[in-house]
Amino acid sequence: MDIIACIKRVPDTSEADVVKIDPSQKDIEKDRLAFKINDWDEYVLEAAVQLKEKLGGTLTAVTIGPKEWDEVLRRALAMGADSAIRIDQDVSADDPHIVAIILDKVIRRLPYDLVLFGAQSEDFGSGHLGAMVAEILGIPHATLVINLEAEEKKIHVQRELEAGTLQSYTIDLPALLTIHTGINQPRYISMGGIRRAMQKELQVMSLSDLGLSLDALTPMVKLEEMRLPPKGKEAELITGAPEETAGQLAKILKDAGIF
Amino acid sequence: MTLTNFRYGDVIHRCFRCGYCKFPINWMDVNNCPAYARFRMETYSCGGRLWLTRAWLEGEIEWSDHLADILYSCTACKNCEVKCPLSFNIDILNMMIAAKSEMVERGEIPSAAKEFLENIQRQGNPYGTSREKRDEWMEGTGIEAYQGQEYLYYVGCVGSYDTRGQETARLLGKVLQKAGVSFGVLGNDENCDGNEVRNLGEETLFEMLAEDNVAQFQGLGVQKIVTLSPHSYNAMKNDYPGFNGVFDVLHYTQLLQELIRNGGLDVSGGYNAKVTYHDPCFLGRWNEEYDAPRAILRAIPGVQFVEMARNRNGALCCGGGGGNFYLDLLGGSEDSPARRRVREACETGANVLAVACPNCLTMLEDAVKAEGLENKLTVRDISEIVGEACVIK
Amino acid sequence: MSSILVVAEHRNQTLADVSYQVLSKGRQLADQAQMELLAAVAGVDIDAYAKELTRWADRVIIVNNDQLEEPLAEPYQKLIAHLIREIRPGIVLMGHSSFAMDLVPSLSVELGIPLVTDCVDIFWQNGDILVTRSIYNGKANASYSFAQSETILITGRVGEFPVEEGQRQGWIEEIEFAFEEECDYKKFEGYLEVEAAGVDITQAEVLVSVGRGIKEKKNLEIVEELARVLGGVVSCSRPVVDYGWLPSERQVGLSGKTVQPKLYLGLGISGAFQHVVGMKGARMTVAINKDAKAPIFSVANYGIVDDVLKVVPALVNKISELKGRTE
Ligand SMILES: Cc1cc2nc3c(=O)[nH]c(=O)nc-3n(C[C@H](O)[C@H](O)[C@H](O)COP(=O)(O)OP(=O)(O)OC[C@H]3O[C@@H](n4cnc5c(N)ncnc54)[C@H](O)[C@@H]3O)c2cc1C
Ligand code: SF4
Ligand code: SF4
Repeated sequence: MDIIACIKRVPDTSEADVVKIDPSQKDIEKDRLAFKINDWDEYVLEAAVQLKEKLGGTLTAVTIGPKEWDEVLRRALAMGADSAIRIDQDVSADDPHIVAIILDKVIRRLPYDLVLFGAQSEDFGSGHLGAMVAEILGIPHATLVINLEAEEKKIHVQRELEAGTLQSYTIDLPALLTIHTGINQPRYISMGGIRRAMQKELQVMSLSDLGLSLDALTPMVKLEEMRLPPKGKEAELITGAPEETAGQLAKILKDAGIF
Repeated sequence: MTLTNFRYGDVIHRCFRCGYCKFPINWMDVNNCPAYARFRMETYSCGGRLWLTRAWLEGEIEWSDHLADILYSCTACKNCEVKCPLSFNIDILNMMIAAKSEMVERGEIPSAAKEFLENIQRQGNPYGTSREKRDEWMEGTGIEAYQGQEYLYYVGCVGSYDTRGQETARLLGKVLQKAGVSFGVLGNDENCDGNEVRNLGEETLFEMLAEDNVAQFQGLGVQKIVTLSPHSYNAMKNDYPGFNGVFDVLHYTQLLQELIRNGGLDVSGGYNAKVTYHDPCFLGRWNEEYDAPRAILRAIPGVQFVEMARNRNGALCCGGGGGNFYLDLLGGSEDSPARRRVREACETGANVLAVACPNCLTMLEDAVKAEGLENKLTVRDISEIVGEACVIK
Repeated sequence: MSSILVVAEHRNQTLADVSYQVLSKGRQLADQAQMELLAAVAGVDIDAYAKELTRWADRVIIVNNDQLEEPLAEPYQKLIAHLIREIRPGIVLMGHSSFAMDLVPSLSVELGIPLVTDCVDIFWQNGDILVTRSIYNGKANASYSFAQSETILITGRVGEFPVEEGQRQGWIEEIEFAFEEECDYKKFEGYLEVEAAGVDITQAEVLVSVGRGIKEKKNLEIVEELARVLGGVVSCSRPVVDYGWLPSERQVGLSGKTVQPKLYLGLGISGAFQHVVGMKGARMTVAINKDAKAPIFSVANYGIVDDVLKVVPALVNKISELKGRTE
């Protein structure tokens, strides 16, 4: 089975107070942040490697981003990907439509039975890139996949719906899936593995190599402004008898839209 | 899959399961391997791990989550190395680490170990807290950045991030200031020392950390280092020379002992308590420094010093080594080594349990709470006791 | 712009909550711009839904077709594409459900129309529609505008838009819709209900977290009650697991789970480093602890220094009161 895994790199924003807005108000301040592979994409790679170990075939990892994004491809190569392709273009804040068009062009050049995406990204989290690419490629898809079993010509998947319900499908290959966290336990990638993966080839392509130009790709959605969500930063002590403090707190929680 | 690439294949069979590796100095009990003490099963002793590793090597068993947990519950306390009667004892701990290395290379390690290592790769500390916050512990202390002072004060991850560890890091800084020691710190440019990374079997990551740290220290012209944590002390003293990083490395208790002896530090303020002392593995068994901390405690007026039954190279590990202050594979039971250890401390009648390591501090303090001994026993780092004795607020 | 179309979703004989939520928002946007609000619902035996929807929509379009009985992406994509081509609404609005996530991206590509998903706000500005999304796991907000397009596609985040009572009496229009061919490459095999027993605290938006300060296992009852009125889940510190009061999957911290909820309410938790390391990503932290010096207060946005066993019952009452007023 030939598999393509589309992955990305994101800033580590797990702590609440590390996110600050850049003066342009179109981005967050990134220069002091650490970066990592998108959480969902770790599960993508694990799922892909497990399929390859079981069924053979090839695994290609693809990303679109500047040079530093090689890091996530190296992880993929260390995990067992046969080849890796980076499209040298920063599209991280662009309309996913544009990203989908670029990925379609990359994927078409490669052999594939199965294309895997993360169900969403930790940064923008729109969760719609994968299914868009499937539609452009003209292949069936399933999003939010939490169980996956593959045969020669078809796959059985379960999607995770709300409130503990799963939805089962059988889908003919080729197909595209977006993978949800929890589908497997991603393995650790050792530094030794990453160092050895430095020897594997990593292909870099430009938009023009794909017959595209940024000018011709017009976004349909435009980012206007980024802001921090309003919140009382300082610790504020609420004092009084239990009735009073509870009343004040209830009001604060209501105003914050908690209930 | 069986274990391959194992460099101790020709000696590992020499373990004949005598079981000495889980004893303290004498034969008073059999619980001095912290992992064995916690689970009371031979598999969790050094000998048990060696037999499992050999079985894995010879294809009798396969890798499993359980096997990984058994290997990672070793705290690298070195009790076994000290107690094993056979000459191959110099390698037994390395054999267990080598088996972990194999798991690391395959990516099959306990999920907490995975987090631990990935956090260090990304943020230079096991907690995954931002690198930009590494210097928060020193706010308001007036401690300077290192720029050619006599000593580099290397704080380490626990001292930099753990709130309890931060208190000791600050106090040690103030003690050094009071004694007029010329020193500076690296602040946000400090990186993990790698000691636990090595014990977890992530050799290449350890090499990278060691190489980077050595290059950084040399670039700044560092010659003398004083560390808060015995873990950092161990890595810098014993491993960094292998990366061309030869420095004059001291654990802070060694420096304080010297300062007290030569009159550089006045501890006449005293400390009124009955104190017992827990030897940290990376100061004690790993580096055979048993005297400096004791000498400090004895030098402080008011301190009534008592030994626990198990002490010096027979001390029971707190259970925090080998990354277990994070992995916590030994927690959650009355038999957890830290809880056994604080009960033992209580038996001496001491009201203060002195430690010389921020890991031991967090482990044992937590155990005091879990045992409900808060009213009988307080855990204090020696830096804090000295701080009080030289009247630092 | 002509009209706003809300596509309603139903399963197990109930209309999804989020459909009511985006319907209310749709009503508001339509009123502000004096547009017509349409709702669409499809499947079999859908008259009751349609009637329900007329309370908000000016016109409800119903499509009786057994292939549309289950919320499945492929048939619905065909239906909605057809409706958009026929009706030409300015905005199509859906709840950001797992159903919509499977459906709207392909729909937007098929029709070549813009899409923004999982919006927390939708509003008019100088005659244009703008949306706000919550990004970086709630740590920042971003607003977006749309390029010129006859129709735009928006999904709204679950729970973000309050349901306002519908005052309309719209009319119902049935539309004939038949599928040209069956979808043979993707076969729906059914549903599976997984054990509800395993609570995933990492997914919860609201965590009511208890520590040793709740003293006894039986005090968990009132805490569960608080979690229920807040629509949240109970999590805990390690001693609570050690005592066997809650299972280990509820533990937050270094050796437990790392959580990033919208609200973290710490009850009788001291805030030890090993605990805080697991919840420092929370967007709002409130602590109730009787010790004013407890370190948890230094990471909290709001704090009450008092006995949890006194404050929690009062809090349950106050919240129920406030909720009663709006519902
Ligand atoms: C290796 C290791 C890993 C650990 N991992 C974790 C982990 O993953 N998660 C975790 O939580 N801990 C962990 N710990 C334990 C941690 O160090 C703390 O011991 C623990 O978090 C304390 O839990 P607590 O706050 O519930 O209890 P305590 O620290 O005992 O705090 C109880 C609090 O309740 C307050 N209180 C008491 N009665 C009342 C009342 N009636 N009303 C209001 N307040 C009251 C007290 O003032 C006190 O502040 C770990 C420890 C170690 C060593
Ligand atoms: S190093 Fe310590 S924990 Fe590990 S096997 Fe030896 S005695 Fe046990
Ligand atoms: S490791 Fe040494 S002490 Fe332990 S059982 Fe084997 S031979 Fe005996």
